[in-house]
Amino acid sequence: MIEVKNVVKTFDGFHALDGATLTVPTGSVYGLVGPNGAGKSTIIRHLTGIYRQDAGEVAIAGETVWENAALKARIAAIPDDWFYYAQSNVRDMMRFYKGMYPNFSTERYEKLKSVFNIDEKRTIRRLSKGMQKQVAFWLTLSCMPDYLILDEPVDGLDPVMRRQIWSLMMGDVAERGTTVLVSSHNLRELEDVCDHVGIMDKGTVLLERSLAQLQDNMVKLQVVLPDGMADIPAEVPVLHASKIGRIHTIIMRMNAEEATARLAVYNPLLVDAVPLTLEEIFIYELGGVDYAVKDIVL
Amino acid sequence: MQSKTSFCEFFNKTLFRKNLMRFWPLWAAPSFIGALFPLAVLTNLLRDPHWNLTALQLTASYYEIVTYGLPIISLCYAILVAIAVWSYLFNARSVGLMHTLPVRREGLFLTGILSGMAMMLIPYVITGALAILVFGLSGVFNPMGIFVTILCVIGESFFYFSSATVVAFITGNLFALPVLYFIFHFLAVAMDWLVNLFATGFLFGLQGDYSGVVEYLSPTVYLMSNVRCDRQYTETFISDAIHGSLTPDGYGYYESELTSVALRDGWIVAVYALAGVVLLGIAYALYRRRRSESAGDVVAVGWMKPVFRYGVALCSAMAGGLALYAIFWGSFQSGDTYDVIPLAIAMLIAGTIGYYAANMLLAKSLRVFRGSWKGLALTAVCAVAICCTMYFDLFGVETRVPTLDQIDHMTFYAADNNYALLPDEDAELIEEIRAVHLAIAEDADYIRAMEQNLRYESAKDRSEFSLHNTVRVNYYLKDGTSVSRRYSFPIVRSRLEDPNTYDYALDRMVNGQNSRNKRFHLNDGFIPMNGYIYLEAGDEGHHHSFGDREARQIMAAVANDIANGTCGVYNWFESNHYDYSYAMDYALDLGIEFQKPVVLADGQNSTDYDSISIRVRPEMDHTVNALLQLGLADQDSLKTRLELFPENYSAEAQEWFDKYGYAYETSFPTPTEVITGSSSAASIGIIGGADGPTEVFVTAG
Repeated sequence: MIEVKNVVKTFDGFHALDGATLTVPTGSVYGLVGPNGAGKSTIIRHLTGIYRQDAGEVAIAGETVWENAALKARIAAIPDDWFYYAQSNVRDMMRFYKGMYPNFSTERYEKLKSVFNIDEKRTIRRLSKGMQKQVAFWLTLSCMPDYLILDEPVDGLDPVMRRQIWSLMMGDVAERGTTVLVSSHNLRELEDVCDHVGIMDKGTVLLERSLAQLQDNMVKLQVVLPDGMADIPAEVPVLHASKIGRIHTIIMRMNAEEATARLAVYNPLLVDAVPLTLEEIFIYELGGVDYAVKDIVL
Repeated sequence: MQSKTSFCEFFNKTLFRKNLMRFWPLWAAPSFIGALFPLAVLTNLLRDPHWNLTALQLTASYYEIVTYGLPIISLCYAILVAIAVWSYLFNARSVGLMHTLPVRREGLFLTGILSGMAMMLIPYVITGALAILVFGLSGVFNPMGIFVTILCVIGESFFYFSSATVVAFITGNLFALPVLYFIFHFLAVAMDWLVNLFATGFLFGLQGDYSGVVEYLSPTVYLMSNVRCDRQYTETFISDAIHGSLTPDGYGYYESELTSVALRDGWIVAVYALAGVVLLGIAYALYRRRRSESAGDVVAVGWMKPVFRYGVALCSAMAGGLALYAIFWGSFQSGDTYDVIPLAIAMLIAGTIGYYAANMLLAKSLRVFRGSWKGLALTAVCAVAICCTMYFDLFGVETRVPTLDQIDHMTFYAADNNYALLPDEDAELIEEIRAVHLAIAEDADYIRAMEQNLRYESAKDRSEFSLHNTVRVNYYLKDGTSVSRRYSFPIVRSRLEDPNTYDYALDRMVNGQNSRNKRFHLNDGFIPMNGYIYLEAGDEGHHHSFGDREARQIMAAVANDIANGTCGVYNWFESNHYDYSYAMDYALDLGIEFQKPVVLADGQNSTDYDSISIRVRPEMDHTVNALLQLGLADQDSLKTRLELFPENYSAEAQEWFDKYGYAYETSFPTPTEVITGSSSAASIGIIGGADGPTEVFVTAG
């Protein structure tokens, strides 16, 4: 389990993390979402032992991460700007990772060679950005980590390779119980792979739930009102409403049964619950903290 | 889970290997260059098997490299290695990778240190091994010399790399690292020079050169000026009637043989190596507290940022202020001392520039002006405070005259004579000199005003004024510090009779019995050994040498002339006339050499040598008679210079002198350098005439 409790981190007076708390259950895939500058990368750098918190606790498997070499041997991370030695080729970096990570599996490295299909002898800096990212995954997955921490991991990868890599990671989760924490702006993608989601803004984790809980806490309904009613009555607590023809699409912060019951008193001609996307949850959850939807880069 | 890293928390061989392989040109290139030297020697040996090189000569050449080459090489090489090894600290991406790895900070630190030291030493190992092999094969091998050289190489390499490491952990910026490193190594001597320059412009009598009191904080300078290669030679007389020339021992020649070589003060290297351990401790402590996010910052340690900010402002205020003052106000300055208000303004301007420059570097932004007035005000207050402290001499530097019991030894220069004095032997004379010093210091305002006026009125009555007389006094105190002053002032005839003036005190001291006894070595243990006389006669002269009997006889006659008052007095005003001071002397050079047995600090017996030159005047009856009796001169050869060279003292010559004047200076090791052993000379002599011009004369040991 990954645990972050009330972590505070300040950069020259700016609170990058301001009491952030999150919990990632063992064997889960946890998506950390939030707008730019929310503190996602900062929290990840604490989890990988790069930063030391000003206050609070950062622990994995019950142990403090900071200066814990034995624990860090079980953690592999891919930052958004993965570093490699300028003159190195893939083989050189493999030797480096192999020397550093005790669980590094040469066998897996060789197996993954066919997946990534990159010439090992090519200097990494001569590879495209997407190929460099593939190398990062190749080496990281070969470390056989118990904890995989990824910051914007699939940026720059083509859709086929994205699917391939997610497939490999899901395989690790299923077979080895790997715990994955992934930060991303690509909510559509996270929706497919995450079973837990945390939403960050302004240095704090606003909420974290399982995806099922999140979807259960908010409902999206398509409603057709009876003749004579042009709009959804004002007393109905709607987060968002739109209308196409006679069909009203509304989002409410409650479960589907309760929402249907609230609308039943107006004798609607049609009430139909449709699935909420993570993107919609993200937008309307953050809407409560004055987050401007128009600023979200999706 | 058992982890491999848990077994080697303090050293990571993968990282070590990676460091060496990544930066292999850094150690391979100097290794290659270094290897060329022994290989060049090998080719010479192959070409000329009889090449004559002894083990001691080889050791001496090792030590020469250690003393002069090693500090510079290590200084430059260490920063290159440090840049390579610690480069990961200066980039957010690389620091992210390194600190994500399952290695503790201790492991990264120690691995970096060992990688760096390996890079530092590999070229020496390769070069040294080849050198030992080549010279060993030719039978030239001195284990002790090699051992000492190896220790010095390791010690200096370690120290310099440690110092570069500590700077690497202070900064987070790759470009700032070499800059801060060289500042770190030369700041002390630069500040010494700057403070002295600054103080000299304000404080009366202060010497304007570099004092060296904190030189040990600039290791390269300190090592190069203190660690020395000492050689001892034995001279053997080779009898050779066919090829040799005639020597006092017959036909033959002397052959010098190097009999011993030692590295003097090599312990200093060991002290710096120990300092390197402390620096590494500091570097490690800084690393433990270092924030990875400081990568890119000019100063990565929080509490050092104000030090950097105000340090830059202060240095800028002083150095830049002096430069601005010299450029814009120097020509308007009326006296020898700085004009305080223009200098304060110049310092404020330069300090402000330095303050904001430092802020911009720290903030990595040009927008640093808002809300910065407090720091700027502090900088301004400091600049003004420095000016006021100097101007009002708040520390009493100008009037500081050490007491007799504080003095270990001292030197004094006045009226063309140098004196080297010891409190146990010259207490009375030292007290007289102290009185002169105090009188000069107390008359500082008068002297400043006089110098200022006389500068524009140099044509004043020369019979009343003697311009620009120089006094230098250096006290070397028992606590290891020193007080050095240099004064230039006028002597006014009317003040010579006023006991409340420095003119009076100086005249009494110079013409007093104590100083004369000192100048002529009367009753101070020096024994006349031999001498010479050179009688001038137009383009040709006659030179005669004489032994100790004649020398003793001449000195006894000189002593009688002094006692009878026929030796003359020092005339402060005669130097106003072109060569007039020599005109009434006999046209001859009379030199006497002395020796004195002494016991050195290490208990060994030694001998001090000294030489003086005596000006002989017609009124010195006893001396003239002695020369005549000894047959060193006759009545015909005893002519004054005025008689012999009347053209030199013509009205035209005097006119030319009045218009242009003349001055000359000679540069020799100071008496202090000889006493303290910092000069290679073995003894010092005061060549002094009967109160006439004198030069320091040093004989080689």
